[in-house]
Amino acid sequence: MTAEALIETRGVTRRFGGFTALKDVSVGIRPGVLTSIIGPNGAGKSTFFNLLSGAFAPSEGRVFFQGRDITGLRAHEFAHVGIAKSFQITNLFPNFTALENVRIALQAHVSRYGLWRCRSALAGLADEAATLLESVGLADHARRLARELAHGQQRALEIAVALAARPKLLLMDEPTAGMSPEETKVMMVLIRKLVEQRTVVLVEHKMKMVMGISERIVVLHHGELLAEGTPDDIRNDEMVKRVYLGQGQH
Amino acid sequence: MDGITPQLLALQVFTGLALGAIYVLLAVGLSLIFGMLTVVNFAHGAFFMLGAYVGLFAAEQTGSFWAALVIAPLAVAAVGMLCERWLIRPLYGRGIDYPLLLTFGLAYMMVEGIRIVFGKAGLPFETPELLQGATNLGFADFPTYRLFVIGVVALLLVVLWLLIERTSFGLIVRAGARDPVIVRVLGIDVSRVWLIVFGVGTGIAALAGVLAAPLQGVSPEMGSSVLIVAFVITVVGGMGSLVGAVVAGLLVGVVESLAVLFVPEAAKVSMFVIMAAVLLVRPQGLFGRAGLMA
Amino acid sequence: MKSATASLRLSPPLTWAALPGLIARHRVLATIAFFAVFPWLMPYQSLAINILIYGLYAVGFNLLFGYTGLLSFGHAAFLGVGAYTAGILIGQHGAAWWWAIPVAIAVGCLVALAMGLLAIRTRGIYFAMVTLALSQCVYFLVYQLPASGGENGLRGVNVSEVSLFGLHLNLLDPMHKYYFVFGFVALAMAVLSRILASPFGGAIEAVRENEARARACGFDIERTKLLSFVLSAGFCALAGALNAIHLSSVPIETLDYATSGLVVMLCLLGGMGTYFGPFVGAALFLLIQDLASAWTEHWQLYVGAVFVLFVLFFPKGVWGTLLERIRHDR
Repeated sequence: MTAEALIETRGVTRRFGGFTALKDVSVGIRPGVLTSIIGPNGAGKSTFFNLLSGAFAPSEGRVFFQGRDITGLRAHEFAHVGIAKSFQITNLFPNFTALENVRIALQAHVSRYGLWRCRSALAGLADEAATLLESVGLADHARRLARELAHGQQRALEIAVALAARPKLLLMDEPTAGMSPEETKVMMVLIRKLVEQRTVVLVEHKMKMVMGISERIVVLHHGELLAEGTPDDIRNDEMVKRVYLGQGQH
Repeated sequence: MDGITPQLLALQVFTGLALGAIYVLLAVGLSLIFGMLTVVNFAHGAFFMLGAYVGLFAAEQTGSFWAALVIAPLAVAAVGMLCERWLIRPLYGRGIDYPLLLTFGLAYMMVEGIRIVFGKAGLPFETPELLQGATNLGFADFPTYRLFVIGVVALLLVVLWLLIERTSFGLIVRAGARDPVIVRVLGIDVSRVWLIVFGVGTGIAALAGVLAAPLQGVSPEMGSSVLIVAFVITVVGGMGSLVGAVVAGLLVGVVESLAVLFVPEAAKVSMFVIMAAVLLVRPQGLFGRAGLMA
Repeated sequence: MKSATASLRLSPPLTWAALPGLIARHRVLATIAFFAVFPWLMPYQSLAINILIYGLYAVGFNLLFGYTGLLSFGHAAFLGVGAYTAGILIGQHGAAWWWAIPVAIAVGCLVALAMGLLAIRTRGIYFAMVTLALSQCVYFLVYQLPASGGENGLRGVNVSEVSLFGLHLNLLDPMHKYYFVFGFVALAMAVLSRILASPFGGAIEAVRENEARARACGFDIERTKLLSFVLSAGFCALAGALNAIHLSSVPIETLDYATSGLVVMLCLLGGMGTYFGPFVGAALFLLIQDLASAWTEHWQLYVGAVFVLFVLFFPKGVWGTLLERIRHDR
């Protein structure tokens, strides 16, 4: 929790009815660095992810982004502030083409209501969308409907849509879920490329991938912060070893 | 405001409870169906009406109101199950609006079907002899039949509660209501559960119809006005919450009856005022869960 | 994608195959042209007028349901409010049609704003129920209003002639009345086309396709839905006002549940989310009603059955299925 954190949570707690999913978690994510959030099932990773992405607000505590208090901002404002996410279960516009998926995401940024202008007047958006598709390797599939794409392609499209928000912070919830080893490798290359221009935070299960790719790791357990540091720090951390790594590696 | 004695108030409250009891039955059936099948049953009023007519027919054929009280819910539940299996089930994957639309079309057909068979005009339904007249409640005389209605509904609610809280079937219903996906994953034959729940839900609606028949007669239109009330109650109580259905149903019934005493013109609109207030303050309903059913 | 959509089709080949594309690009003109000759295709003009009016009602509803994905069962409220406002202004206060109609639209939009603020706060599944309940509330309120005529409805909405920019229409002549209504419908369709082609048009479809995704992209879902709700009501209120003038009266049934249900049927039968589909739905319904009621009192049973069949097997409606076939074959 230093002044240079891009996004940071201070003492966030999140309750759902009687159940406390997160308890007093204070973490800072450093800019320009790939951070992974790991922890056993039920550790609170999804809840934490949702807090960072604005799906809901913490029950207690505050969230800061670039020094600004964004606690309680409405969900759709997060995209405008510079935080974008890709969902764990592919969440696209199924009957739009791949190009239109990205184009509409770009549009959300550029125009609030634009009732009277013509959509094609925002012509530059289609070109920019095409470029984004190229950057995730989907240039050839621009005209295909999102629901007709293969799983790996849909995940890539999901990322392109997230990138359309021109985010400073990109949150990715298990980006390699359901992927074959080959597809996972391709995704990892893509993620490494993405880190060059923005901060990326992953929630992941696959330990090997996490250790191989992350520069910093945050470990959650039973809703509390267990450890935080570089992969080496984590590998050597006694608590972590006992609780998580001791349960067997992927 | 003179002439409004405590006795009168109490009497109106009881009237409200009787009215509310019918509403509660409807709302409970609706909530059950929604909770388990995620279907907003726009034909619920039509099943209520069907129950009333089947009850009328059965009472005429057998000469017994009591027989009608048993036959109608069972017969209508059977119809309901057929509808679920062949008309609604094919639509589950298609998104939340399609089953709703289908039930709406179904209701349309059912109402017209009844008009064909029984005619467009309303028909009277005699209160059974045993339940005619009034009973002395201590502070006033109250129509016996209405007491009977309150009694039957209370009994049914207890039975339902036991079923849901104490049996394994009830466990499935509760689990399904909370997370339909989990139930499927556990390998339970969900389609059988859907069938039964829809049958139970429509059967309860039909029972409500038979109970309501002596109070208001039967008519093809009786379903649509009651459907709206059932929706209001569900919104106020919280979708999928049986406790909510009970509380809201009684609340709406009592408020409407009291409004008749004090501000008669507003009586019919009173339930909407309650609904609007709940929507403003607690949009998920009094007992609904926030964030459920995104 | 090379240079996006800047394909240089200066003179498209005029083959039959190119026709659908041509029509789609100039849908406003095509619609206007079609309806300009429409009365001659129909057995009698009042059927044509009804198709226009019910079609417009369905067009308004379609903006909310077909394009934005929100199923409302309370749209009769807007049809009715538009009808009663215009009716009361014209029939009881001697208002001129050219300002009574816009006021009717505005009042419809205001009612929608109030209803929408309550209905949109709830989760999606509640929406159908809440809108139904709220519109029933409107029904009761209007029923009790002395000016509305209660059970008997509103009478005496008489507009017998219309003069505009030197053009003189005698509304007692069905043909003239048709073109009077047609003028408004043409205008409405032009406005609709602009709305759909605007960025807002893209936003509402995004909400329909995947609300959570749209929110994550940065769209203000609640505001978008509310705006769509209000705009949709405007079209319906216009249809109501025109109907009041057409019938010279407003029956109280305009506001009831059956009327809300009717527009849902029209929209589904015609084709949700299509530009022209609502008119097809209206025509289909009115023609079935016309034909079937000739030999049976119980035509509603058949309409209901057709609707159920469509929900099960033809959810895209007549026009929607047709469009899909055409796109597929291209």
